[in-house]
Amino acid sequence: MFICVNWSYNLGVFTKVGGQMKIGVPRALLYYKYFPLWDAFFSELGAEVVLSPQTNKRILNLGTEAAENEVCLPVKVFYGHVLSLKDKVNALFVPRIVSVEGGAYTCPKFLGLPDMIRALDVDLPQIISPTFDLKLGLWEFYRSVYELGGFFTKNVFKIIMAFQKGLNKLNSFENLLHDGHLLNEALTGRFSPAPRGPLRIGVVGHPYNIFDSYVSMNLIERLQKKDIRVLTAEMVSPEIINEIVSNLQKKLFWTYEKDVVGAVFHWLDTRAVDGIIYVLSFACGPDSLIQILIEHEAKEKGFSVPIMPIVIDEHSGEAGLVTRLEAFTDMISRKAVKEKS
Amino acid sequence: MIGYLGVDVGSVSTNLVVIDEETNVVSYIYRRTMGDPIHAVQNGLRELKELLPAEIVINGAGTTGSARYLSGVVVGADIVKNEITAHAVAASHVAPDVQTVLEIGGQDSKIIILREGVAVDFAMNTVCAAGTGSFLDHQAERIGIPIEEFGNYALKSQNPAQIAGRCTVFAESDMIHKQQMGYHVEDIIYGLCQSLVRNYLNNVAKGKELMSPIIFQGGVAANLGIKKAFEETLGMEIMIPKHYSVMGAIGAALLAKEKAGNKIESSFKGFSTSDIDFKTSSFHCKGCSNNCEIVKIEVDGEVLARWGGRCGKWEIEQT
Repeated sequence: MFICVNWSYNLGVFTKVGGQMKIGVPRALLYYKYFPLWDAFFSELGAEVVLSPQTNKRILNLGTEAAENEVCLPVKVFYGHVLSLKDKVNALFVPRIVSVEGGAYTCPKFLGLPDMIRALDVDLPQIISPTFDLKLGLWEFYRSVYELGGFFTKNVFKIIMAFQKGLNKLNSFENLLHDGHLLNEALTGRFSPAPRGPLRIGVVGHPYNIFDSYVSMNLIERLQKKDIRVLTAEMVSPEIINEIVSNLQKKLFWTYEKDVVGAVFHWLDTRAVDGIIYVLSFACGPDSLIQILIEHEAKEKGFSVPIMPIVIDEHSGEAGLVTRLEAFTDMISRKAVKEKS
Repeated sequence: MIGYLGVDVGSVSTNLVVIDEETNVVSYIYRRTMGDPIHAVQNGLRELKELLPAEIVINGAGTTGSARYLSGVVVGADIVKNEITAHAVAASHVAPDVQTVLEIGGQDSKIIILREGVAVDFAMNTVCAAGTGSFLDHQAERIGIPIEEFGNYALKSQNPAQIAGRCTVFAESDMIHKQQMGYHVEDIIYGLCQSLVRNYLNNVAKGKELMSPIIFQGGVAANLGIKKAFEETLGMEIMIPKHYSVMGAIGAALLAKEKAGNKIESSFKGFSTSDIDFKTSSFHCKGCSNNCEIVKIEVDGEVLARWGGRCGKWEIEQT
């Protein structure tokens, strides 16, 4: 497809950077989806990728102080990561990801992310914010890739090769997920043995909530410590998810929420889990609708798999989470014992 | 005589129960926590000992409630369980065929759905404490009626006032407004009960299938106005167990008994633990930018327990 792109596109509009460019990637939001791609692409083009540290109290405080009140917790966390990176890099990568497939959008907050960051009342390095909108077709998409690559080189071939390499990395990352590895392990390449207990809990929600261990208060680790096998939506293949959501009464507008719905329905259909925990962020519009959709469907189908919503915001105390997790795991294990006897 | 101790330390009340081998309640204590869980437990133990037969041997101890870990260290618990499990166990024990448990306590309210004696679903109130015992407490104080009398006033109501129950702050201004308008105090109180029940059913019990038999427990079950409002709204009979106010503690005692099985080897520290001087202190860990607040509990300079960190480096296993 990209062979026929018009290569004469004017590169002169971009800032040239001498020496090795340090490009900052906030460890938040879509980092959890696409980092392997971004990392390989930028590195291949000769840039040094600087990743912000794991979320901690300082980063969260930076973000909540800077962000306006209305945004959800993960966006506040994103602000915190941007602020923790700003003095360490020449440029910050904040893409505007509008759509990653035909007929569906990402979250409205992702659409405005670069503008929200630019509106911050602090000195920021250059913000690199290409628009990716697959609804406009592959042509426009690759033009954005080309624009992005133009920050580093004028060599069209190099940009295409770098992007291809990124796609390969993304592919192997996603294959690891579909093979049943947890996202944080697939991202870091550090794998630990999974629990082998009899109980299985599906944990769904946005990966930037679940796999940010500060935000989720180590939810997955806590479950694994109880010897519970944890399944996540990323482990369900896109073919299965697409098949399931195509049978919904009404089409879903949001790509990332589709994964949640598809995975939950798939687990219910195949009896793959003993319980489901849905992690929502307070003030997330899509989450609040999807939660009801899931509960409604589960009830309609008459499944007896308990679903527990966990709502997180910056005021969330660990005590509330611990009590709910303990109660939930107790409940399903006592139920399993009873069913056996 | 062999007994099992259950301790439930919540935000408002601290309850202690001893049950015997046949799971009958031997004696119980219901007292206010008053923001000091350690002394509440110690004083409770002292009072409980007075009520118990002298020859009693405690064969197992369990703790529950929001201060379950702290009180677990103080009494030497064999089992520390969350309050949902404790309440579910107690409810299905007193009424084996129970299908719905409504529980309203000091700062939280929960619903537990049981089928064939097993909890299959539950929900707790989230960040909002509107419609819990603390709110009723506060309003009783404001109107100048003892909380114990609240239910009787409510039952006298002929024409309940409509009170907005979604938020404690707005419910209060609504009540003041109704008072200024000249509504009878019993109508306002019953209106408040109805709004609390509405709030509970809309938020906590949202989407759950409430099936009979229904048990209502927790401190707020003392309020007959709330019971009546539940019955009117749901059109179903609500049962209140005899020991409704200490069901969490009964659950903890039952779990301790379940854990003990046949062996007699409890880590219960004895009733004399009420004389030990437990010291708690806290500090901020400087190990990373999380600055976790670490709490430790000491006796005579010996650290019994420490918790509160995110990474676990300060954690000390409870003995």
